[in-house]
Amino acid sequence: MIGAPRLSLLPHQLRLDLPLRQDESARFLPWIIALMVYFAAMGGVGLISLGEALSRWDASLAGTLTLQIPPDTSQPRIDMALGALRQTKGVVSARLLPPEETANLLQPWLGNNVAIADLPLPQLIDVRVDPRMTIAYTMLRSQLASVIPGSRLDNSPSWVGGARDFALRIEDVITAGVAAIAALIITIIIFTARIGLAIHRSVIELLHLLGAQDAYIARQFQIHALSLGLRGGFIGAIVAALTVAFLEPAAHMLALPVPIAAYGIFDWRVWLLLIAACLMAGGIAMVTARITVLRQLARMP
Amino acid sequence: MTGVVRLQNIGKRYGPDADILHDVSMELDAGGFYFLSGLSGAGKTTLLKIIYLAETPSRGIVTLFDTDASLADRETHTALRRRIGIVFQDFRLVDHLSVRDNVALPLRIARAPEREIRENVPELLSWMGLEGKLDLRPATLSGGEQQRVAIARAIVRRPDLLIADEPTANVDGDIAMLLVRVFERINKLGTTVLIATHDVAFARQFAHRRYHLDQGALTLASEGATA
Repeated sequence: MIGAPRLSLLPHQLRLDLPLRQDESARFLPWIIALMVYFAAMGGVGLISLGEALSRWDASLAGTLTLQIPPDTSQPRIDMALGALRQTKGVVSARLLPPEETANLLQPWLGNNVAIADLPLPQLIDVRVDPRMTIAYTMLRSQLASVIPGSRLDNSPSWVGGARDFALRIEDVITAGVAAIAALIITIIIFTARIGLAIHRSVIELLHLLGAQDAYIARQFQIHALSLGLRGGFIGAIVAALTVAFLEPAAHMLALPVPIAAYGIFDWRVWLLLIAACLMAGGIAMVTARITVLRQLARMP
Repeated sequence: MTGVVRLQNIGKRYGPDADILHDVSMELDAGGFYFLSGLSGAGKTTLLKIIYLAETPSRGIVTLFDTDASLADRETHTALRRRIGIVFQDFRLVDHLSVRDNVALPLRIARAPEREIRENVPELLSWMGLEGKLDLRPATLSGGEQQRVAIARAIVRRPDLLIADEPTANVDGDIAMLLVRVFERINKLGTTVLIATHDVAFARQFAHRRYHLDQGALTLASEGATA
């Protein structure tokens, strides 16, 4: 009915005097943010997985030593080495791993199609030590070398050490990538806000002349940016959740030593990460828009 | 009378060009009704912009409501602007907002309660003969209707000073006369009114004080009877 009071569904604070929702940026920006949030969220999932894997490795390695001995070592020499280890102060137990157990350890890395039994693999002696005790490794190594020439005592299996270093580097790369994505979101919002200010300059001048404070005008941009950021963040987070759900069976199949294989989409940390990524996208967009617009407005009469 | 606007030796120059305004001095008292006449290009709009703080003068002192605008900070400028209502020559209505929201804009900027806006805006638009147009977009209105919306927006906050830039430029004689009567009614409520017009003969018909601007120089052309 013409002339009847029209009640707006939007509260006063969320009403936009500037036609920002009609801007081209309102159409493309959520999708760009969605893409970036997706990459950031997947990076975050990667960080969670790697962090979990590292802590598992660290936990499993605490109090563990491995003695590698050449495959053709005779049983008497092996028994002598075991005896020397068991007599060493701080050693709790020492046992020769059966070939099938060694094969199981290597299977995730070599796959099912390799006949591990045919490979000239070293034999492994698993040594458990009391973590509170200090062991004289130099002396123990020379003692073992005299019993079994070519033996090697590792504080941790060599592949774990290498993988650990690699995982730590990947963590750094992912963290840098997430930071770069945040910087990219900030840059895009700055440019979008500046374009918005240029497009709507005449209305902004009008608002100033009608007595609007800079904060009033900036609020219009920040509400708009928050809306776009949250929308993009939500889309990106949903796609990331679907990706994790999709990867879960694949991770199981490959028996990857990361928790995505264990918990996948049901891991509460994944959900916390996705919600945080979504809120961060909105928050970064809002704060960036506010700061950019206030700085630009300060230059206007 | 209390001074609403006091201009002292105002000069304005854009870049290396010649001065648009030379040593303009002017005083508008509270409750007064004034015309500012002058041919197109005489500098009327520039002078009005200096008064409503859209431009800063190259020289001179602008005092609004006993506040030296050149010394005032940004917040004070905002406070001063809220005491001024402006009817722009090109109306400057916001296209994507309805007539109601255009008129409500100064109230929302001043954080007036929504209840007050819902009551006052339709009443004012009805007084301006725009009942039934509240939810229309400005582009769908005639020029005369848009002008009335612009006037409603300028007076909705009951400003202390109302500035109208060429409000009679694009309307015929009867409508122009009617518009001045509207401004006189607003003036009777205590608002100081300043109307700029290029039509000297039209301004002469009224017994109001008139300033005349000629090539950037301002003179008091008529003392008037009501100023």
